[in-house]
Amino acid sequence: MDLPRLLVVLSAAFALLVLTIHYFRARRWGVKPVYAKIQGTPRQALIYTFTAGMMPWSKESASKHLPTFIVGIIFHLAVVAAVVTLLAAIFVWTLPSLLKSVLLATLFAGLACGLGLFVKRMVVGYLRAISVPDDFVANLLVNLFMINAAVNLIAGVSTVFFVTAIVLFAYIPFGKIRHCWFFFCSRLLFAEFYGYRGALPPAQQVHHD
Amino acid sequence: MTENNACPIDAFQQRLAQLDETALDQARATLVSKWSYAAEVYARACVHCGLCSDSCHYFLIDPSKESVPAYRLKLVTDVFACHQSKSRKISGARELDRNTVDEWIDCLFGRCTLCNRCGLNCSVGINIAQMIRIGRSVLAASRLVPPELQSTVDAAVNTGNNMAISREEWFETIDWLNGELQQEVGDPQACLPLDRAGATILYAVNPREVKFFPLSLLAAAKIFHTAGENWTFSKEYYDVTNYALFSGDDTIGGMLSSRLIETARKLGVRTLVLGECGHGFKATRWDAPEWLGQTPDIEIKSVLEVVEDYIRQGRIRLDPRLNSKRVTLHDPCNLVRNGGIVEQSRAILKAGVSDFVEMIPNRLQNYCCGGGGGQLSMTRYAKRRLAAGKVKADQIAATGAKIVVAPCHNCIDQLSELNRDYKLGVEVKTVCEMVADAIVGTPAS
Repeated sequence: MDLPRLLVVLSAAFALLVLTIHYFRARRWGVKPVYAKIQGTPRQALIYTFTAGMMPWSKESASKHLPTFIVGIIFHLAVVAAVVTLLAAIFVWTLPSLLKSVLLATLFAGLACGLGLFVKRMVVGYLRAISVPDDFVANLLVNLFMINAAVNLIAGVSTVFFVTAIVLFAYIPFGKIRHCWFFFCSRLLFAEFYGYRGALPPAQQVHHD
Repeated sequence: MTENNACPIDAFQQRLAQLDETALDQARATLVSKWSYAAEVYARACVHCGLCSDSCHYFLIDPSKESVPAYRLKLVTDVFACHQSKSRKISGARELDRNTVDEWIDCLFGRCTLCNRCGLNCSVGINIAQMIRIGRSVLAASRLVPPELQSTVDAAVNTGNNMAISREEWFETIDWLNGELQQEVGDPQACLPLDRAGATILYAVNPREVKFFPLSLLAAAKIFHTAGENWTFSKEYYDVTNYALFSGDDTIGGMLSSRLIETARKLGVRTLVLGECGHGFKATRWDAPEWLGQTPDIEIKSVLEVVEDYIRQGRIRLDPRLNSKRVTLHDPCNLVRNGGIVEQSRAILKAGVSDFVEMIPNRLQNYCCGGGGGQLSMTRYAKRRLAAGKVKADQIAATGAKIVVAPCHNCIDQLSELNRDYKLGVEVKTVCEMVADAIVGTPAS
C-alpha cells in the first residue's frame, strides 16, 4: 500500500479511535440506572426505533418535511456511495460499469441534495439562527468528498480524493459528523425511554395531520 | 423579547440583578453535576436540522428561533461545551453570563411545557425535554425559578399540598362529599374513607379538585364504591401534583413523591393510585424512583388503569347512551407521551360514551394544550401560553365535539381558558366524570 492510501486508512482509524474515546468519555458522565418498574416491551421498542419508527408515517418531522427527509436520505446514500468509491480506490477494485453508473448517479444526486441543504440552512431564518460554523464546514467537506469521489470514478484521479478523505476523517470526531456514531446511542436511549413506559411501539397507528 | 408582567419590586428581578461571578460559577457547577451519559450523547448527536421546529406548539404560533426546540437544546449544550473547553467556538460554545441566564429563563421556563413532542419527532431521537429540564435544574439550584412557580412548589413542601388547603377544609370537603355520595348511590353507608388502614388502594388527587372541582372527587368515589373497591384517601398527604418536576428540583421532587409512597406504606396499602394528573403521574411513577435512587416497594398506577380494569372485569357497567353528546379526548403529554398511558382512556370512553371522535393527531402525537411545564402558575407568560394554545383549540374545533375529556387537571384548566378565549363552546371533563355519568347497576359484591 502506497503512502496516500496508507494515510487514508490511518485517518479513518484515527476517526474511529477518537469516536470510541468520545463514547467512553461520554459514559464516564454516568449511565443512570433505571429504578422505576418497567412496563411494556423494551425489546420491541428497540426494533421499532430502528425500523418503522424511522419512517415518515411514524415521525412528523419526516412526514411534514417529506422533501427534506428524502433529500436527507439521498445525501446519506451518497455518503455511502463515496465511501464505497474510496474503498475501491484504496484497494484497487475494478468496479463493474453498472455499479459505477449507480455510484455516479447517487453521488450527483447526493451532491445536489447536499448543496440544497446548505442553501436551505443559509436562507431559512430560524434554521440559520440555530446553525453554527460547524454545520456549514461539515456540509462542504462532505460535498467536496462526493465531488472527488465522482471525479475519481470518471477520470481515475485519486490523490485529491485521498487528501479530501484524510481531511474529512480527521474532522469527523470534532464536528457534527460524529453523529454517525452518536445517532445510534441517541436512538438507543429513545427506545429505552419510550419502551420502558410501554409507549412504543404504538398499540395503534397514530393519526397524523 | 421577554414577556414580563412582574412588578418592579420583584425579588426575582433583584436576585437576577445581583447575579455575580460566584453565583454563575455555582450555576456552572450545577450544570456539570446534572450532566450524564444521556446528556452528553444528546449534545453530540444534534445536527441542527431544525425538523423538530413545528412539533412545538410555540413555534407553530411564533416561528422565531427561540421557539425552535433545537435552539433551546443548544442554549443548554452550548454553555456546557463552553465550560468544558473554551476553544469550541466552531460548535457555538457560549459563556453562562447574565444575558445567557436571561435567555435561559425566557426560553426554558417561558417557552416550553416539557411536553417532549419535539423529542418524539426528533430525527435523531433526542429527549429535548430532559435537556431543557437540566437547564431548569441549574436555574432552580441558583434560586432563579420564576417565583410564581416556586411558590407552588413551596406551598406543597410547607403545607402538604400545592394549594395550601388546610386539614379542616379537606375534612369539611370530604364530609360534604360523603352526603353527596350517599345520595348519589342510594347507600347511607357509602363514604370517602380517610386513613383506612389495610385498604387495597390509596388514592391521590389534585388539590384543585378539593378546592374547585369537588364533583370530580365525587365521580371517582362513585366509581370505587360501585366497583366495591377497598380504597382510602390520606388525611395528610393526598396531593398527586409535583411541581418540582417543572421547577427542576430533583430533591424536592423526590421528597414530595416519597410522601405519597410512605403514606401508602404506613397504611399498609399495596397500590398507590394516582388521580387524573399528567405530570403527577410522570413524577411519581417514572421520575421519583430515579430521584430517590430506589424502586418503590408498592405498586404505582394511574386511576385510568384501575378504571379500565373495572370495566374489563365487569366490576362496573356503563351505558354509553347516558353520554350521548359527541366526545373527544385530549392526551396529556406527561400521562401519554411521557407516561405510557395511551389506550386506557380510549377504552374507557369507548365503553362509556356513544359518540367518541379522535383529535387529529392523537395519542403520542397529540399536541400539548400548553398548560404543562408549570405554565399555568407562571402568570408572567400567560399571554404567550394562551396564544400557543390556539393549536389545541383548532384541534378541538375540528372534531365538532361538545365535550372535551382530559385526564389531567392542568390540562383542564388550560382547556377551560382556551374554551373561553377561542369560544369553543365545549364542556371540559375528566374521564372519571364521564364514567360516573354512565354507571348503571348496583355496586359489585
